[in-house]
Amino acid sequence: MKVKEVPQDITYYEGVKRACYALNDAGKYVIVTSTGWSTEEVANGLAVTELALRFEETRKAVLAGVKSPLCYHMERRQMNLKILASTTGIATFRVKRHCHPEIFSKLKPSILDRYAKALAVTPEELKTVPKSSKEGK
Amino acid sequence: MGSEMRASGKPFIHHHSAHCETGVTAGLFRDKGLEISEPMIFGIGSGIFFGHLPFVKFVGLPISTYRSRPGEIFRKTARRLEGEFITQRFRNAQKGMEELRRVLKTGQIVGLTTNIYWLSYFPNRFRFQFNGHNIIILHEIENGFRVSDPVLDHPVDCLTEDLERARFAKGPLEPHGFMYYPKSINLHPDLRTACIKGIKDACKAMLKIPLPIFGVRGIRYLAEKTIKSGEKVGFVEACRQLANIVRMQEEVGTGGAGFRYMYAAFLEEAAELFGSSELADLSKEMTAIGDIWREFAVVSARIIKQRDPSENTFAKAGGLMMICAGREEQLFKDLNHVVRKLKA
Repeated sequence: MKVKEVPQDITYYEGVKRACYALNDAGKYVIVTSTGWSTEEVANGLAVTELALRFEETRKAVLAGVKSPLCYHMERRQMNLKILASTTGIATFRVKRHCHPEIFSKLKPSILDRYAKALAVTPEELKTVPKSSKEGK
Repeated sequence: MGSEMRASGKPFIHHHSAHCETGVTAGLFRDKGLEISEPMIFGIGSGIFFGHLPFVKFVGLPISTYRSRPGEIFRKTARRLEGEFITQRFRNAQKGMEELRRVLKTGQIVGLTTNIYWLSYFPNRFRFQFNGHNIIILHEIENGFRVSDPVLDHPVDCLTEDLERARFAKGPLEPHGFMYYPKSINLHPDLRTACIKGIKDACKAMLKIPLPIFGVRGIRYLAEKTIKSGEKVGFVEACRQLANIVRMQEEVGTGGAGFRYMYAAFLEEAAELFGSSELADLSKEMTAIGDIWREFAVVSARIIKQRDPSENTFAKAGGLMMICAGREEQLFKDLNHVVRKLKA
């Protein structure tokens, strides 16, 4: 890759630039900053949309009373049952049970606190999910 | 690049790097007075690699990696450049933070392994649960720390609670608050011997591992899998897998083409060090291979976007990868041959 070929396509890095190695006119490697590559954006976009879609589905499931808000906040932090379980020190099968709304609603405050701390939310926030998809990201 | 003060008042010069681990390692060495570039660290630490792990899933997708295991580059470079490092892990987060503060007060900068999700100074799209991001802490500030993150072009601030979460995050590859800083560094290391060791090690990893998922054989395996994937798992799933490969190649701080350009930069520097024209030629070949990897990424993006479906097929993408495999095999064989002629 030559210096001129370093992609400067997009700005989804939110102002962050990253370093690329490219050849200068003398054929020597130098570091060039890049604002992003459209090809990478396509690959990344696919993953991001998929995550957002799953996240939105979970939010609706919580509002419909199929899943507990814990599930929503877990996905918001991009965690899975295993990571959340080891972060809180609560067994995976218990975390899984707590994803059911009826079991979640009966949880002791001490357990809720542990979840809140692990997910970096307040205990009040943990019990709710945003009403519309825009909020709370 | 920018200058930054620390607790003792000595300036620290921030260098923008392509990759976190090599950037941090180079930063720690430079700080002690040994001028060394990021590609040099990458080469000496034998960072270049390939592996496709179909059974290790990350968000439901198999992992493809273009470099050696996290932490390995740092360990190998420290050993080969005769730098003595103090490394610590902690069971208790509180103790880990206290120790960090104590070391920072002595004016020492500290390398840390963190979880990238909790580092809130990153844009949202960069943040995902990955426990292998390395940063340098410069000094403590009010409610936080001054951080030199090598993949950003300037130092930033990080809140104490974010940093604590990041250092003691759980999940695969738990960092356990891993911190490291140099105790003493040899200011005149034997660079030539270190380069030779690094190159030999890299050739071994790329050519000699007797499992079909690592090194050049790993690339072939993934290429074959990609060619068949369209029919085998359906278009949507195949696209997901392809996108994941491209992400691993381009996004995760690689300096372009899955570290291949960075390795070419290393070979170029090594060629000057040894005065070897053969190494210079191999550097050019590595660049050419990197260009094919980039082309693979472009074709993959077209497949995903469904531009000219007759032209851009999984067979074409896999075919490009197969070319990379063949040329990398030849390159590392030649390199293995050339390195044995070099004099330390």
